[in-house]
Amino acid sequence: MKCPDKIIEWMHDYLDGDIVPDHEKALREHLQHCPECSHHFNSLKKTVAFIQHASHLAPPSDFTKNVMAKLPKEKKRVRIGR
Amino acid sequence: MDMFVKKRIKAIQKGDQNAYAEIVELYKDKVYRLCYRMLGNRHEAEDAAQEAFIRAYVNIDTYNPTMKFSSWLYRIATNLSIDKLRKKKPDVYLDEEVRGTEGLTVYSQLPAKEASPEDTVESLELQETVQQAIEKLPEKYRSVIVLKYIEDLSLQEISEILDLPIGTVKTRIHRGREALRKHLGHL
Repeated sequence: MKCPDKIIEWMHDYLDGDIVPDHEKALREHLQHCPECSHHFNSLKKTVAFIQHASHLAPPSDFTKNVMAKLPKEKKRVRIGR
Repeated sequence: MDMFVKKRIKAIQKGDQNAYAEIVELYKDKVYRLCYRMLGNRHEAEDAAQEAFIRAYVNIDTYNPTMKFSSWLYRIATNLSIDKLRKKKPDVYLDEEVRGTEGLTVYSQLPAKEASPEDTVESLELQETVQQAIEKLPEKYRSVIVLKYIEDLSLQEISEILDLPIGTVKTRIHRGREALRKHLGHL
């Protein structure tokens, strides 16, 4: 039996934190009885965890100095009149 | 908006360059990270992040304070990264064969043992796999995923940064998550 598309939609609503309570209840009930959707949901949650835990890189220590050195010396100003 | 940022922006608009150094210090990590996740390369990320800050400085008079300054900055950095992506040639795909290893794919080179996401993510290989999976995303999904999960921004902020309706942002996040699941969900 093919599960309705809305089940997957609810999973995403849940992951976005804006699932309505009725849908959340229905989603939970469905997941308890459907190993396939349950697997889908778990792999989505795992994917999110992987992305969120991606290591946080920092720019080189001279980054700010380099930006400041490249700024135009004087800001362009709109001249009025002559 | 944050008083610190507001004061600095006023000073910069009056021509005080030093005030800008404080703004760069404040946002450099986030802007660099955004560019790195979009472009997948430290050198290009550094160039793009520098360019984003320079553009923001040059165009500071066009900044509209009804928008968060960080959102404006992220918008510049995202657009710059997308421009750079479009100039790059398409990369190899994750499931493509690795040269010189008949029948071996990038996946089969990864350690097969099961571990929790927190343990597994420690490994450098996984870090690379995650980044590769992000790079396989079409740019319109990549930008929303990076803003949501790497920069930890709300749907509302993402909608403001990309100038897209919230509904579109949500659809793209959903599709992006599904696409990433295909690469990462089995690990």
